[in-house]
Amino acid sequence: MTEPLLSETIKSLPRPAQAAENFLLYAERICKTYPDGGVHALNEVTLGIRDAEYVAITGPSGCGKSTLLNLLGALDRPDSGDVYFRGQALSQRSNRELDTLRARQIGFVFQSFYLLPTLTARENVQIPMFEGPPRSARERTRRAEELLDLVGMRHRARHRSSQLSVGERQRVALARALANDPRLLLADEPTGNLDSENATLVLDLLTRLRHEQQLTLVIVTHSADVAERADRVIRLRDGRVLEPALACPGPC
Amino acid sequence: MTFLTFITRNLLRRPTRTALTLLGLAVAVGSVIALLGIAHNFTATMANTFERRGIDLIVLAAGKTDQLSSDISESIPEQVARIPGVLGVSSTLLDLIEIPRGRSSISVIAQGWNWNNFAFDDLEILAGRRLLAGDDHQAILGVNLADSLGKTVGDTIELQGEPFAVVGVYRSLDVFENGAVVIPLRQMQRLAGRPGRITAFGVRVDKSGTDDPGPRVEAIRQQIEAFRGSEGIKLTAQPRQNYLQSASHLKVTKAMAWMVSAVAILIGVISMLNTMVMSVLERTQEIGILRAVGWPPSRIVRMILGEAILLGVAAAVLGTIAATALTYVLSMSPKVRGFIEPGIAPMIIAQGVAITVLIGLLGGAYPAYRAARLLPTEAIRHD
Repeated sequence: MTEPLLSETIKSLPRPAQAAENFLLYAERICKTYPDGGVHALNEVTLGIRDAEYVAITGPSGCGKSTLLNLLGALDRPDSGDVYFRGQALSQRSNRELDTLRARQIGFVFQSFYLLPTLTARENVQIPMFEGPPRSARERTRRAEELLDLVGMRHRARHRSSQLSVGERQRVALARALANDPRLLLADEPTGNLDSENATLVLDLLTRLRHEQQLTLVIVTHSADVAERADRVIRLRDGRVLEPALACPGPC
Repeated sequence: MTFLTFITRNLLRRPTRTALTLLGLAVAVGSVIALLGIAHNFTATMANTFERRGIDLIVLAAGKTDQLSSDISESIPEQVARIPGVLGVSSTLLDLIEIPRGRSSISVIAQGWNWNNFAFDDLEILAGRRLLAGDDHQAILGVNLADSLGKTVGDTIELQGEPFAVVGVYRSLDVFENGAVVIPLRQMQRLAGRPGRITAFGVRVDKSGTDDPGPRVEAIRQQIEAFRGSEGIKLTAQPRQNYLQSASHLKVTKAMAWMVSAVAILIGVISMLNTMVMSVLERTQEIGILRAVGWPPSRIVRMILGEAILLGVAAAVLGTIAATALTYVLSMSPKVRGFIEPGIAPMIIAQGVAITVLIGLLGGAYPAYRAARLLPTEAIRHD
C-alpha cells in the first residue's frame, strides 16, 4: 500500500500565512538542495508544530531529517518555501535577527554534544548566555548552576568535558540548550551516542523538562523509544514527508 | 564566566603554541621597544642637556644638519654675543678622533671648548677638575670613555700623536658627551687642521621678565640668520626642539630604529597570523556551535581579535621587561657604553603596546573574517 504524500493533501490545508499563525513553528513547502552532488535533501516539506508539543522526526539515514532540523532551527535557509516562527516568516528576518532568535528562543542538542573542551561544565552552560538577556557574570554562573542542578549535574559543575562520561556530557549539553529559557528545543539524535541506560536517563530528563517548562520539543531520531514518547511522529523519506504533518493547532 | 575568561581559556588550549607565539612576539616587540627607546634616549638626553645649559638656539652653518659637517668662523659667536638679549654663547669644534687603546684604537668624539664655555657648568666633575684658562695639552674625559680606556686623573692619553694629560673625569646628561673627550678649543682646532674655526655654537637668550619667551627667541633667531660675518657665511639658527628634529645623526638613528622595527613588526604579524589561522581552523566545529547557539559573526570576530590582542598585550609586557633589561645590559657593555642610556621612556612603552595591539589586529583580522563567514551548519559538519 502506498503511503499518502503530503503534496496530495496540501490542497485541503489552510493558506500558509494564515496557517502559520496557529503554530509555534510552521514550514511551508520548503526545499533544500545541496550544491555538492545536487542532492535534493528536502522536497516541498510542509509541517506545523504546536506550542509545547513533542514531535519526533524519523526516517532512514540521508532522508533529510537533520537538514529539516537545521531549517526549523534557523541554522540554514531553504532554497524555496519558508519557515515561520510564531507566525513570522524567517525569510523576512536578517541574519542578525536569526542569530538573536536562535540565542533567545531556540535550544539545540546535538548527537556529539559539542561541549567546548577548555571550559568546565558550568562554563559551557554559560556560552549561550552571552547573547541572551543581559546578565552579570555572577548571574550567569548562578543560572548555570541552577540548570546543572536541573539536569542532575551540579556536582560535576567544575569538571571539563574530558572528565565527564558521555551521558553526563549530553546532560550538560542539555543544560546549555536551556540557558536562555528557549520555547523550542531541537535535538538531533540526542541519544545516538549513548548506551541504553544513559539514553533512558536523557529521555526521562527531556520528557520531564518538557512538562515542567512547557517546552516545544522536536527530536530527530532513529530510536523507537524516543519516537514512542512523542505526541506525534513525522516520517521522512527521500526528502518528503510521508503523511500530513500538521497537528491540530489548538487542543484536540 | 566573563568573555575575557573565555578568550583566555581559548589561548591556553594549546599552551606550547601560545607560549612560542608569545615568545616570538615578545622578541619582536622587545626589539621595537629597545630600538625606539634607545633612539628616544639619544634625543631625550640631548634635549635635557640643552635645557640644563639654558641653550635656546643652536647655530650651524646654513644648510647643515649636524655639527660634523658645519664650519663657522670662531669670531661669529663673539659678535652674536653682542646682540641685545643674548646672554651668552658656547662655541664648540667637534670632530671624531682616533685614540689608541691597547693594540688598536677607538674613534671618539672630541670637543674643543674655551675654558669659559658655560657648558662646563653643567658637567658633574667626578674626579680632578674642569679645564681652566691657560691649560695646554690637558683633557677631561667623559665617564664612559675614561672607563673604556681605563684612564683616570693623572694619566695621559694620545690624540693624533700628541700627549694630553687627563685632569678630570666628568659625567654629562648627554650620553654622547659621556663617551667624549674635551680639550681646549685652540688645540682642537690644531688637531683638526681647522684653525680659527668652530662647528657650532649655542645661544642663551635673556628670557627674564616674560612669560612667553618664544617671540623673543624668535626675534634673536632672525637676527642671527640675517647676520653676515666678514666671510659672508650664512647661518642657520634653530630652536633646540627643531634642531633635535632635524639633526641628521638623530634622524639616522630614528630611521634605523624604525626600519628594523618595521621588519620586527612584519615578523610579528606573520607569526600572529599563522597562529590565529591555525587556531580558527582547529576550532571550526566549535565556532559552528557558537554560531548555532546564537553568537553573531560580530562576537566571533571579537573573540578572535580579542585572543590576538590579548596575546599581543602579554607579549608587550614581556617585551618591555626584556627591552628594559637589554638597555641596562647594553649600557654596561664596553662596546657601546656611553651611547646607550638604561631604561625605556613611558612614551616608548606606550608606543610598543600600541604596536602590539596593531600586530594583534592585523594578525587576527583575516582569521576573524574567515571565522565570521562560517555558516553554522557547514562549520558543525567540518572534520
